[in-house]
Amino acid sequence: GSCLLKGSRGGHVVIRFALGGCTNRPFYRIVAANSRRARDGKYLEQLGCLDPLPNAHGEKVAGLNLERLRYWLGCGAQLSRPAEKLLGLAGFLPLHPMTVTAAERLRRRRQREQQQPQAAPEDGSAEPGTGT
Amino acid sequence: GKAAQPKPAFTDEAVQTLLYKMTGLDLHKVFRPVKKGLKPPHYKLMTEAQLEEATRKAVEEAKTKLIMPPVLNEREPIDDVLAEDKVLEGTETAKYVFTDLSYSIPHRERFIVVREPNGVLRKATWEERDRMIQIFFPKEGRRVIPPTLFRDENLGTVFQQDRHEDVLNMCIAQFEPDSPDYIRVHHRTYEDIEKRAKYDLLRSTRHFGGMVWYLVSRKKTDGLLIDMINRDLLEDATSLITLYHMLHPECQSAKEAKEGKLQGVDLIKVFVKTESQREGYIQLALQAYEEAMATSSAS
Repeated sequence: GSCLLKGSRGGHVVIRFALGGCTNRPFYRIVAANSRRARDGKYLEQLGCLDPLPNAHGEKVAGLNLERLRYWLGCGAQLSRPAEKLLGLAGFLPLHPMTVTAAERLRRRRQREQQQPQAAPEDGSAEPGTGT
Repeated sequence: GKAAQPKPAFTDEAVQTLLYKMTGLDLHKVFRPVKKGLKPPHYKLMTEAQLEEATRKAVEEAKTKLIMPPVLNEREPIDDVLAEDKVLEGTETAKYVFTDLSYSIPHRERFIVVREPNGVLRKATWEERDRMIQIFFPKEGRRVIPPTLFRDENLGTVFQQDRHEDVLNMCIAQFEPDSPDYIRVHHRTYEDIEKRAKYDLLRSTRHFGGMVWYLVSRKKTDGLLIDMINRDLLEDATSLITLYHMLHPECQSAKEAKEGKLQGVDLIKVFVKTESQREGYIQLALQAYEEAMATSSAS
């Protein structure tokens, strides 16, 4: 039927994460696949894996087949955003700008939360006087 | 003056031949039944010539089984930072370990990097490297986390059961030859054997050479010498002393031996007089040996 001809019209190769594992236990495989395939469906080649939960030594283990990754990137494969971020963390690609932006946003939010509790007790002490 | 000769290494041909001669070739011990799946015994009917051929082939196989595992210095810890990104501080709670899974790189040259939660990208330590390589490229007989057997407190129990050879075989399977754990377990085993004078446990195994090398470099050869004389292995005793002289050429017995070009029992006597701590015991053992030789040649 039509599933046999899926590889021949349209779509491009992407390198992205395919989710596996069970409930409350994710496991990602880094995979080169046609962009129109299902996320966990048939892929061209597995290029590595990522375990997002830390192990007994407190590490998140990731494996990357850099030789084959270079081959697919040379063939013109595109990367999904999480894949780009992971490769930026690994040092294979430069750090993704959104990683930097997210880090700065997190830092700013934490600063704001630190300043709010200092402001809140002042409000709390003023409120009972004016409220009732 | 004279140019000092470089100190002989474990891998030198002369050293290896001496150690190999001392290891001995007891076929019954080398081909002792290893615990495998049960199979009924296999009998063959052979002529004298065929039996000789089979023994020759067995000797060849035994030689491959007796190849000595390497003796290396402890490896230097890895301490290399590739990048520092202070921006990432506080975003992650756990570190990421990235392993390069390309198939055709040797394991020593593989890239294994760690991204710490404070943003530093550094090369992985040797323990992390060994663990990751075992996870992705598992080797038979090796565990990801080393068994508790290799801790100092548990080694004593195994030594009491006289299972030094099994411990050393497991150690070779588990650790790399230049890792500190491998060296520590081996040294502990050799010390225990030397303390209880159980040299025969390792004779005719591939660990004997390493043990002799360890004892000779630390000048603890007395017990081994006594054991060899008691078992009437005079050639082994002379090769032991030759090895000692090769490793410590500046000691007095080495100089005397070179001047007098001594051989055999004379070499041992000179060595006993100058270098050993337990002179009395060795003299006694030599006397007993000479009496035994006299009675056997008389009768």
